[in-house]
Amino acid sequence: MAKILIIDDDPDIVEAMKVVLKTKDHQVASAASGAEGLKLARLDQPDLIILDVMMEKMDTGFSVARELKKDKNYQNIPILMLTAIKESTGLDFQKEAGDEDWLPVDSYLDKPLKPAELIDKVDSLLSSR
Amino acid sequence: MDKFNPDTELLERLSWLINLRWLALGGVVITIIFSHSVLRLNLPLFSLGLITAILGIYNLLFYLCLPRVTPETTSELYARASRSANWQIAADLIALATLIHFSGGIENPFIFYFIFHMIIASSLLSRRASFRQATFAVTLFFLVAFLEYYGILAHYGLGRFITNDQYQNAIYITGVAVVFTTTLYIAVYLATSITTRLRQRERILEETNELLKEKDRVKSEYVLRVTHDIKEHLAAIQGCLEPVIIGLAGELNPPQFDLIQRATLRTGKLTQFVKALLEITRIKLSQEFRMEYFPIKEAVDNALSFISLKAENKDIKITTHIDPQVDKIRGAKEYIQEVMVNLLANSVKYTPRHGRIELTIIDRGNEILLAVKDTGIGIPKEELSMIFEEFHRADNAKAVERDGTGLGLSLVKQIVEGHNGTVWVESEEGKGSAFFVTLPK
Repeated sequence: MAKILIIDDDPDIVEAMKVVLKTKDHQVASAASGAEGLKLARLDQPDLIILDVMMEKMDTGFSVARELKKDKNYQNIPILMLTAIKESTGLDFQKEAGDEDWLPVDSYLDKPLKPAELIDKVDSLLSSR
Repeated sequence: MDKFNPDTELLERLSWLINLRWLALGGVVITIIFSHSVLRLNLPLFSLGLITAILGIYNLLFYLCLPRVTPETTSELYARASRSANWQIAADLIALATLIHFSGGIENPFIFYFIFHMIIASSLLSRRASFRQATFAVTLFFLVAFLEYYGILAHYGLGRFITNDQYQNAIYITGVAVVFTTTLYIAVYLATSITTRLRQRERILEETNELLKEKDRVKSEYVLRVTHDIKEHLAAIQGCLEPVIIGLAGELNPPQFDLIQRATLRTGKLTQFVKALLEITRIKLSQEFRMEYFPIKEAVDNALSFISLKAENKDIKITTHIDPQVDKIRGAKEYIQEVMVNLLANSVKYTPRHGRIELTIIDRGNEILLAVKDTGIGIPKEELSMIFEEFHRADNAKAVERDGTGLGLSLVKQIVEGHNGTVWVESEEGKGSAFFVTLPK
C-alpha cells in the first residue's frame, strides 16, 4: 500500500484511476490543478505522483514536474506522466523522455489508460524506489 | 506552391519572342527568294541579305543574354526582362524598317507588318511602353517616307510589282501615313485593353486562390480544435469503462458485461477515428517534416511488428525484399513508418485467409520505390481514383470490414506528398492490389 497523488484536471479520469488503484489498496489523493498539486505534494509527501501534462496550460504538467525535481525534499518521489499529447502536438515522447532536463519524469503512460498498464507502471515505480 | 509569378511569365514570353523571330527570319528569307526568282523583282539582294544576317545575329545574342531565373531579387530580374523586351522590339522595328526601305519603301505592302510588333509589345510591355513603341514605329515610317521622298535616301523600286512610283506621290504618302499611324495606335489600344483585363483577372484569381487556402487552413484549425476536444472526452469515457469491464468496480452479470463491452469497443473505434483525423489535420497544417536519414530496415521491422499478429491470425504470409543498395532513406522516420503500417494493415485487412503480402523496396536512382502488393479483394475500377480521398471507402471494403475510418490512405497521401514523393495504386477487383510510394533521395 502506498500514498499516491493524482494531479489531473479531469475529474472523470481521476475517478476511474482511483477505482483502479484502490483495488491494490493504495491510498489515493487528487488535485485538479498544477498549483494545488504542488501544495498537496509538499503537504502529503506521497510515494508516487501521477501527473497529467495538459491542465491550465498545454505544459502545466512539465512545469510541475520541474518544480518538484528541483526541490531536494521531493526529487525522489517518482512521477508518472500521463500524455495524450502525441496526437495533438506531434511530439514524440518515447524519444525524449530519457532527457532528464527536458522532461524530468520517471515514466509515462498514454491516454486513454489501460487499467492493467496503470497498475504495472505504478507497481514498478513503487518497487524501484 | 505554384504561385503565379509575373517575372517568370515575362521570361517565358521573351523566349517565345526569340523563337518567333527565328520563324520571322525564315519568312524573310523565303519572301526574298520568292520575290527574286519567281516574281523576278529587282531587289538589292546584298543589302537585304545583310539585314537578314544582322537579324539572325542579334537574335542569337538576345537568346544568349536571355535573363535566367536566379535567386537574385525578382524585381530586378523583372526590370531586366522588361528592358530586354523593349530593346528587342525596338531592334525588330529598325530591322523591319530597313528591310522595307530596301524593298520599295512605303510602296511595300509588308509595311503593315508593323502591327504584329504592336501586338507583341502590348502583350509583353506596359501600356505606356507599348504606345512608345508605336510612336517609334510611326517615326521610322515617316523617316523612310520623307528621306525617300526628298531623295536623301535612294528608292529601291519594286519594278513590275508597283509600276508607277508612289513614293513621290504626296497624296498617296499622306493617305498611307494616316492609315498606318491610326492602325498602329488602335492596335496598341485594343491589345493593351485586352491584356490589362486579362492581367487583372489573373490577379483576382490569384487572390481568390490565396483566400481559399487561408479558409482551408482556418477550417483545418477548427477541425483540429474540435477533434482534440472530442478526444479528451473519449479518453475519459474509455478510462471509466475499462476498469468496469475488467471487473475492478465489482462483478458484472453477463448482460451488463455484454453492453459495457459493446460500449468499450465502439469508444475504441471512435478514438481510432479521431486520432487519425487529428493526425491528418495536423500534417495538413504544418506540411513540414523533420527530415533525417534513417535505416530502412529498422522502419520496416517496426512496421511489421505492428501488423504481424493480425497477419498470423489470418495465416497471411508477408515477405519483404529490400534492395541491398538501399540502406538509409531520407524522411521523417515516424511518418514513413506510419505509411508502411497503413499500407500493410490495409493489405492484411482486405486479404482473405492464407493470402500473401509482399513488401518491396528498391533503389531507382534518384528515388526510392516502396511497393506493397497483396492477393486481396482488390479495388473496383471506378473507385480507384477516389480511394485516396478523405473518408472514402470502397464498397467492397465496407462489405469485408464494416468499420474503418476512411482516413488511412489519405493520411498516406498527405505524408508522402509532404515528402515530395508520389503515391499510386494498381489493382484489379478480386485479384489484389499494389500500392506504390516513391520518395526522393
